[in-house]
Parts: sequence; C-alpha cells; structure tokens
Amino acid sequence: MSGGGTQNVPEVVVETRNLTKVYRDFWGRQKVRALKALDLTIFRGEIFGLLGPNGSGKTTTMKLLLGLLFPTEGQALVFGKDATDVSKNERIGYLPEETYLYRFLTGEETLDFFGRLFNLPAAVRRQRTAELLELVGLTAARKRQVREYSKGMARRLGLAQALINDPELILLDEPTTGLDPIGTRAMKDLILRLRDQGKTIIMCSHLLADVQDVCDRIGILYQGELKELGRVDALLKVRDITEIRFSGGDGALVEEVKEVIERRNGKVHFIGNPTTTLEELFLQIIRESELHPGRRVRGGVSGDGH
Amino acid sequence: MVIENLLPPFDRWILLALPIWLGVILAVLLVGVFLGWLAGALERGPAAALRQVIRALGQGYEDFVRRLSFGRIWGLAYLAIKECYRRKVVAVFVIFLILLMFAGWHIDPANREPAVLYLNFVLSTTTYLMLLLALFLASFSLPMDIRNRTIHTVITKPVRASEILLGRAVGFAVVGTVILLAMGVVSYFFVVLGLNHRHSIAPENLVPLGEGQSAEGTLTGLTTLNYGHRHRVYVDIGGEGRVEVSRGHYHKLRVVGSGENVRYEIGPPEGFLLARVPIYGKLEFRDRDGLDTDKGLNVGDEWTYRGFIQGASPAALIWTFEGLSPRRFPEGLLLEVTLGVFRTHKGNIEKGVLGSIAVRNPKTGLYVETEIFESKEFAEAAEIKQLFIPRKIVKPTSVQIIQRKRNTPEGIKLSPPNEEVDLALTQKQEFDLYEDLTDNGRTEIWIRCLEPGQYFGAAQPDLYIRSRDASFVLNLAKGCYGIWLVMVILLAYGIAASTFLSAPVAMVATIGVLVGGLFRDFMIRLALGQTYGGGPFESLYRLVTQENVMTELEPGLGTLLLKMADVLARGFLFAVAAVLPPLGQFGWSDWVAHGFDIPWDHVLIRSIQTFAFALPALVVGYFLFKAREIAE
Repeated sequence: MSGGGTQNVPEVVVETRNLTKVYRDFWGRQKVRALKALDLTIFRGEIFGLLGPNGSGKTTTMKLLLGLLFPTEGQALVFGKDATDVSKNERIGYLPEETYLYRFLTGEETLDFFGRLFNLPAAVRRQRTAELLELVGLTAARKRQVREYSKGMARRLGLAQALINDPELILLDEPTTGLDPIGTRAMKDLILRLRDQGKTIIMCSHLLADVQDVCDRIGILYQGELKELGRVDALLKVRDITEIRFSGGDGALVEEVKEVIERRNGKVHFIGNPTTTLEELFLQIIRESELHPGRRVRGGVSGDGH
Repeated sequence: MVIENLLPPFDRWILLALPIWLGVILAVLLVGVFLGWLAGALERGPAAALRQVIRALGQGYEDFVRRLSFGRIWGLAYLAIKECYRRKVVAVFVIFLILLMFAGWHIDPANREPAVLYLNFVLSTTTYLMLLLALFLASFSLPMDIRNRTIHTVITKPVRASEILLGRAVGFAVVGTVILLAMGVVSYFFVVLGLNHRHSIAPENLVPLGEGQSAEGTLTGLTTLNYGHRHRVYVDIGGEGRVEVSRGHYHKLRVVGSGENVRYEIGPPEGFLLARVPIYGKLEFRDRDGLDTDKGLNVGDEWTYRGFIQGASPAALIWTFEGLSPRRFPEGLLLEVTLGVFRTHKGNIEKGVLGSIAVRNPKTGLYVETEIFESKEFAEAAEIKQLFIPRKIVKPTSVQIIQRKRNTPEGIKLSPPNEEVDLALTQKQEFDLYEDLTDNGRTEIWIRCLEPGQYFGAAQPDLYIRSRDASFVLNLAKGCYGIWLVMVILLAYGIAASTFLSAPVAMVATIGVLVGGLFRDFMIRLALGQTYGGGPFESLYRLVTQENVMTELEPGLGTLLLKMADVLARGFLFAVAAVLPPLGQFGWSDWVAHGFDIPWDHVLIRSIQTFAFALPALVVGYFLFKAREIAE
C-alpha cells in the first residue's frame, strides 16, 4: 500500500481530517476530550488495526466513522462522503463491541431483518442468510432465539449480520472477544479471506496477538492522540540491532561470522533481525507517552507507514 | 341522551381547518428552525449553525420524501410486530377477557339502560387498555433500543431516521389493530349475550282490555319479570300479538295454537342495539310576543345549553329542515324529541306538561298542528319521545296561517308578507306533508308549550328526524375505529417523545399529551379569555383569596401584574393547545352506546385530523432523533 507509485495510487476508503471529539455534560461544559485532531487515511484492501488502552479514543473513532457520534471539530469521510451520510452504510458492515442484536429474534430472522434494511429481495435474503449461517457455523441453531445463544454464538451471528450486504468496508470492534481459540482462529482466517477478496477492514482489539496476526497497518491511540501509525512489520522491527543479510555466501561464511562473534566471547543464537512482539511495542509506547505527554513517540521503533 | 353534531360537513370543514393547520405547521417549523439555529450557534457560531440548519432541512426532505423506502419501513414494522408477539403483548387481550368475565358477573342487566351500560363498559375498557398499550409501546421501545444499543446495529445500516420512526409506528399500529379487532368482535358477542333474555306469559294472565278502550276483544297482560322488567302484551281478536317497548327494547310474540291449547312464545330482545341516523334541523326561537329570536329564555339554570319558551303564548321552538322529499321519507317524518321542562308552579305533578307539535310551510305560512303530547321533566332518559308526522295529515288539531315576525333595522319583517297570505289554504280537510307543508324540501317543525306558567326548553340536537337506521355492527366498528385513531395519535406523540427522552419521561410526556388533548378545548377557551375568573394566574389568585369569579379585581399594581402574567400564560397556553390533538372530540363511545350512527363525515374528518397531528409529530421526532448522538 505505502509503496505504491503515483500510477497505482490505492483508493482511499476512510479519511479523517483533524477529527476531534469532546464530550460535554448537560450544561455544555467539557467533560473529556476523547479524540484530538486525528488525521488518518485507510486504503482499499487493507486491514487496519486501531490499538489503545481503555479510553484512548479508538471506539470513539469507530463511532465517528459510523456516524453514531458527531465530530466536535474536523471531518470523517467514508467513501468520500461525510460519516453522517446514511447512504455510505450501503457499503459498510459493522460488528459492534458487544453483540447488540434483538434477543427475541432467531438467528435466521436476525439475518433476514438486517437483509430487509438493505432492501435485498426475499430470494437473495434467503440465500445470503443460509450462506452466512453456514459460514459462521450456526446453521443448526438458526431457529433458536438469540437469547438462547452463547456469547460466542452471538458474536458469530453478529459477524454474519455485518456481512449480509457483502460490504466493501467492514468495521470490527473487538472481533475475537468471546470466541474460543478455534473460533478466534476461524475469525482471523475469515478476516484475511475478506481482505483477499478486496475488502477493507478496520478493527479495534485489545488482543494484540490477533492484531499482529492479521493487520497490515496499525494506529496506536493514547489519550485521544495518535501515537503511532505504520505497517505492522515495520513497526515491529528493532533498529538498534543489526540484522545481517547477505546473498552469495555459503555455510562456511556463516560459520566464519559465527566464529568471529564467538572469538569475541559472543554467542550466536540466531542470525537475522530479531522482532519484538506487538505487546512490547504497545507497552513501550504507553510508557513513553506517560513520560513525554503530547509528543509523538518514535523512539527506537520505525514508523515508515503512511 | 342527545348527541351533538358539532362538526360542519367535510367540504366546509376542510376549508376552515386547512389554513389553520398550515399556519400551525409553519409556526412550528419557524420555532424549530430558530431553536435549532440557536443551539448550533452557541456551539459553532451563527454561520456554521445556519449551514447546519439548512443541511438538516434538506436532509429531512430527502429522508421523508425522496429516499423513503417502504421496504425498510415494513422491515422495521415487522420487527416491531415480532417484538410485541414475542414479548407477549397479547396479554392485553387476556386482561380484557378477564375484565369482561368480572363484568359479566357484576353488570346489572336490570339497569334502566342495559345496552348503554354494556356498550359503555366494553368501549371504555377497550379504550383504556388500548391507550395504555400505545403509551407503553411508544414510550419504551426506542429508549430500550438505545439503552441496549441494539439501535447501533440498525442505525449503521442504510436506514433513515424517518424509517425507524415510521416503521415503529406502523408496526405498533398493526399490533394495536389486531388486538382492537379481537376486542371489538368479543365485545359484540359479550353485549349481545349479556342483553339476551326471555320472558313468558301464560294464557290465563291475559285479560280483556278495559271498557272504553278501542279494539274490542283484545287481550292484554304482563310478561314475567326478567332482568328487572316486564312488558305489556296485546293480543287482538285475530290472534295477532305484540309486545310493548320497555327499557328500550321489545320482543316478537308468536301465538301458537288456539282455544284451550293456545301458547304464547316470546322471542329474544330486539331494538337494544341501534344506530339511529338523525337528521338535524336549525333551531330558532319565537318569543312570547311572536317575534323570532336566536336565543330562548334563561330559566335561571347555570347550564345555558337549552333555551326555553313560555307556555300558553305565541312562543315556539322552531326547527327548520332541508332536503326533505317523498323519496327519502315516503311514509312521513319520525321525530325523536328530548325536551327540557321547567315548571313555575307545581300543577298536576302526576302528569306531564302539555305541548303541541306542528308543521309549517316556510313559504305560505300554513301551520298544521298534528298532535298534542305530554312531556315530563323527569322522563326516563332512555325513552326519547317519538312523534310521527304522517305523509297524509287527516285530522289536524289546529290549522292556521302563521307569519314569522323578525325585528330588522327597517322594522318588523313578516314572512310571508301580508300580500302573500292565502287564507284559503286553511280550508282543506286533509294535508299532504310534501305538497302543502314543504317548500323546495324545506319545512318547519314547531313545538309549543300549551300550559300557562310552564316552559319547554331545547337545544338544536334535541329534535331530529330519524332516518332509516344504519347497521349497528358497522357503527360499533366505527366506534372502535375512533379508539384506533386516538391510539395512532398517542403512538406518534409517544414515539416522537421517546426520540429524545428516556422511557419513563417519554411516557409521562405522552400522558401529558393525552390529558392536554382531552382538555384542549378548555385550554383554548382559557387562552382566548372565554372563561370566568381570568387567566391561570388570576384564577389562582382568586382561588387562594377565595375571591368571587364574577367580581372585578381591585385596580392596582398587583392586578396589573396578574393581568400581564396572564397575557403571557395565555399565549403559552394557546401555543401548546395548537399542537395538541383535540382528543376530547374523538370519543365516539357515547354515540355507539346511545345508539346513534357516527356520520361518515365525522369519520373522514377525524381520520384526517389524526394524520394531520400524527405525521407532524413524527417529523418533529425525526429532527430530534437526527440531532441526537445515538452512541453518546
């Protein structure tokens, strides 16, 4: 994405400009500044992860993109339209943090209802409902009311409803919460498969390993400010450790390098650039941010994203 | 019981109502735009607020006119229906059945007006339950969705706020309709079964009619006492029998066999469930000097509804009817009258006050008195007096030419004028209602009090021509439709309130609309200064100080301040009353219970009024919903 030349500029799906959200109390007094001047661009076909501790503004960002909240300042554009424009929802699928579904409907009725909201013809609704229930493994439970579903089942149904319109942009708020390891793996595989189909995915998650597994790019928010933005692999690269890459060498050369290191009382465990974990990176950024509030953290990690 | 028909015909009503409605809508729009701009200006500055308001109006047009999807509305309505079904809203119907069961035990069928009692009960119960249902559904549904955040999943679909509100309104209206239909059907059978009773009479209980009475050989007797009443039975010499009306109904009598083996079979009650079609005339008064006046005498009653005329004088109550023709009323005119009687002396308290009824041709002045009748001041309300004016009037009690006299600035004007009076008209022995006493379908019915010192009083609806009865079942359906209309209004106001208020507060607000709507006419009278005792503040002052409402307050600063506060309060009251639906006028239960057909004009007018209030309420709700941050 980032490396695309001018002849192959990827399509911008989501763009925020100076997006700011201030929560006020009944009397109009400022309660909290949840998001501060967020500038963000998300391109077609990528999986973008929004990370941040509780209260960092990631859900606020998500809600601003969905038009559930109105920006105090700035603008959020989705498919080039203002986020409050309802027509953009034709191309969007949204899985909320909790599964906010009507508990009195059955799984089948739920998908049929959301299909109606897209004005899908009855035959298409029936077909999509059957396909999606099969996809999320709820075919056997399709006649049961959602109130009888386990959290994981409700989550999977939530995902199915987000896909009922075959959306181009999918917003997933904590998609793996409540899923068992197998469900989590299946969800991550599905996310990757959707990306491969050309869909754009924005996800929030606290489960950093999940984000690391699937996201192409991430943005890290802290106290409403964007602290880091870039490709996952680049962000995780450790710059003060040299990774030797070479070609044309053979095993003898490698052995020689090893010998040199060992002659200097070193021990070689691995030759190559080590990577840190996403969790490490996340915590480091949080620590840095607390030490230097208001400053964008670049420290020892790279930031060659967009 | 008299039913007032206060509404003008539809074509005249719409010309009066439409400009007022447009004016109120425009005023609401302007106030809404100003408040929206003000709120925006405080946050973002005047220019940005203006842009915001213009965008919101444009969006509103798009959402209600251009982009409204009936498919999505039905989808949301279907959800509302499912919600009601799964949440066992049908329990309301079960409650209704339980109430009917208790009513079946406790309603006294021996009551003087059992049909009125039964019908009033079922219609009031239906009204209360349906309104409660509408209140709960409308006030709780949307706030619950917002609280549970299920609305987040809906609103992130391409659904417009207008569709969310309309979908809910349609869904709840469908649920209400189904429950109301079920209640209506059950009500009908409950009333019919509740009123059903039989009498019997043994042949030995029939005795010949007393001497001096006509119809020699006729037998008469009283039926058994059932449901607190008996009927008098007549069987003529030919074996034909009839049962007299009692408690507003009669029975059919069948004579089986003859001689010693004769048996009398009395059928089920008939005439309980009516839908009279009254045709009203215009009432004018004639005073004791024979001059026409618009108002009758006031006999000291605080309730000035009826105007009175003095007995044994030229004074008369005159109703003018139009559009009469032999095709409409081939046999003659069946009149139903409810008269007020005021005695200045006791007289014969056992007997009623004598009066006369006459027909007069408005053009020729030919006045033919057809009957002398008795009217009691404590007459049973259920038994509206019936008087019949036959097509051929053979033995009139009085025939004369009467000129109407009206005081005009040019002097007394006579109708017909002296030169047109034709006394020869009075020489006839037999009169035809249409040829002699009607002029182009127009005729006058005169009622006069014949006893000196006694008075008759009436208001316009107290006398009407009874046309052919309409279907009672259809009338009951119209009554239920009236309940449905109020339910729709409450649903719309409740849903609108629930867009920006929490569920309990929205419910209180909707109850406020209901109560305000019931007292809207009074609020308008209060706002226009047509009540005694001043405006709200002055009335409060009088209440606290126990000041008489008829006396002027002492001039002074305090009075001035009270009057000024009342000017503001009256303006506020008028504004509030203008947006409240006139729910007090929607109740058709009395019409159905007292056996009066609900005119189609009323049905049409109330239907239009319902949507004229419900749709703007939903539009206001839409803007409030759009202005709200759902996820905050």
